[in-house]
Amino acid sequence: MPEIFINGQAIEARDDQTVMAVAREHGHFIPYFCWHPQLSVVGNCRMCLVEVEGRGLDIACNMPVAKGMKVFTNSEEVQAHRKAMLQFITLNHPVDCGICDKAGECTLQDYHYQYSGQRSLSHDQKVRSTKFYNLSNRILLDNERCILCLRCTRFTHEVSKSMALGVERRGDTSNIRPVEDRPLSEDPYSDNIIDICPVGALLSRQFLHKSRVWFLQPTPSVCPGCARGCTVQLWHRKPEWKLKALDQRQNESIARVTPLDNPAVNGPWICNKGRDLAQVFERVRADEPMLKGRPVTVPAALDEARRLIGAARHAVALVSNWGSNEELETFKDKLGEVFHCFVKEDWQPQPGERLEDDLLIRADKNPNTTRARELFGHAEPGFKDGTDLVLVWGEGFDFARLPSRARIIFLNSYLQPENGHADVFLPVSIQTERHGHYTNFQGTVSAFEPCFEPKPGVLHAEDLIRALAAPARGHP
Amino acid sequence: MKHLVPEFEKFRERFPAGFESSLVLPCLRRIQEDRGYVANSDIEELAVFLGVPQIQIEEVLSFYTQFRRKPIGRWHLQFCHNVSCSMNGAENVLAHVEQKLGIKPGQTTPDGRYTLSTVECLGSCGTAPMMMVNDGYHENLTFTKLDELLEGLK
Repeated sequence: MPEIFINGQAIEARDDQTVMAVAREHGHFIPYFCWHPQLSVVGNCRMCLVEVEGRGLDIACNMPVAKGMKVFTNSEEVQAHRKAMLQFITLNHPVDCGICDKAGECTLQDYHYQYSGQRSLSHDQKVRSTKFYNLSNRILLDNERCILCLRCTRFTHEVSKSMALGVERRGDTSNIRPVEDRPLSEDPYSDNIIDICPVGALLSRQFLHKSRVWFLQPTPSVCPGCARGCTVQLWHRKPEWKLKALDQRQNESIARVTPLDNPAVNGPWICNKGRDLAQVFERVRADEPMLKGRPVTVPAALDEARRLIGAARHAVALVSNWGSNEELETFKDKLGEVFHCFVKEDWQPQPGERLEDDLLIRADKNPNTTRARELFGHAEPGFKDGTDLVLVWGEGFDFARLPSRARIIFLNSYLQPENGHADVFLPVSIQTERHGHYTNFQGTVSAFEPCFEPKPGVLHAEDLIRALAAPARGHP
Repeated sequence: MKHLVPEFEKFRERFPAGFESSLVLPCLRRIQEDRGYVANSDIEELAVFLGVPQIQIEEVLSFYTQFRRKPIGRWHLQFCHNVSCSMNGAENVLAHVEQKLGIKPGQTTPDGRYTLSTVECLGSCGTAPMMMVNDGYHENLTFTKLDELLEGLK
């Protein structure tokens, strides 16, 4: 346990630590571009220069601790060299922040304002290179903005193991390039390189020029794409920046999805499917209760549902494994006696989708199977003779498999043909409109928060279950 | 590349297991020695043989300017134009050869005999100006020396 001094503070470090790790642990910030906690150390950006008494300047990310070393992270010499490093790093950078998607969350921009603020000292023409290079069907590369930190190549070599990226040529003509034998588009984790890019070189095609990041706010959520339950951030427009004209749908849409660093589940990564959550949540929604396809008011639909429940002799419920822990528990508590409950798999793997791997992706494409099975058992849905009522909660169940005589109560969020076939159809809110928790396959519970208000007529499943459990002819 | 595999196996013995990527450089040198340049098919075959991603081979090839991706002439004239040679008139002797052969650096004569290049320091500053013809050094170059030399290159 060597004792080291950082800016005069005595710290007990572990033998295997670097100065960067110790400094971060104890709140001494050292700026960096190429270093990343989950990737190997290359030390090529030279931004984390610190001064060690008697040894001069060196990079903190690759400096093992030694007994009694005195490190200064912000001495005058360090400041001067940082400024010089930023001059060097921006030597061929176009400084086109005004049209760059990364502006506002760019480390180069932040460090420039914090540590340099200087105009370029160079009189030479900047080296021109390719803009909007097509890396894959999801990612564009701007080589002029690239500072060659190599985080993206290391990610494909060390984390996703697709080996899809490398550096061609050298010096100021170096370019990040993909290679044909291992296309980046086949890497299901490729979009993480957009997040870890410290500058605006790697751009999401889906998010390109869609919004400035300061108009957006992140809401913590959980990806429902598989049983891993990665924690994510859903970015949507801030209330104070709501659009009053133009395309108002943008006010209620998810602009992008990024990982929420969570060492217990997903670390700083998510898969590409998690980035496309908007495609799941922004399908056309059902927002009117119906009785056999005829639109009615919520109280009327609830009354009819309660009447059916009251009259049923043998009622079966197919419980959604997209329900939150709270909803599932409420269902068990309020309706568990009334219904014979089975867990329904709402989503099956899509054709062409990666089924499972040893990084994040799980074969079960539903978020809360664990808690649902704990409460309702492992039995496959089956219908005994004499089943006269089935409550289907959530999508993904073929109505042809339901007993032909049974009446149907259907709780669903999206506009689907089955909605009109149910005796009672009740629209329910989706994950982006409510609070809740999911339990992932390891038993880790993660919370999600609402981003948007549900439409009138759309109920939260939890309230709906309580209302259904109330005595018939009552009011919700 | 296939016929070089026995030689590559010998290279492999000199490295500890798991260091296949370190073999890229010696293998590429041998391929270029053999074929005169590195063809796309060589890259593909070498990637399979070593089990490394193709990008790793492309990285090496594009980093070192000594590697060639296209065939060159029978005689490869590489003029040093770094500081010492330049101060001793490298540009003049180069211009002389350019005029004689009718090509510019980076070009090959139409008959496929000569390829002209300019390169950085070849470590022979004491005998500047100098050039390499294929693997041999030619030092203290003068116009007469060059004329004689080009006569000799048939």
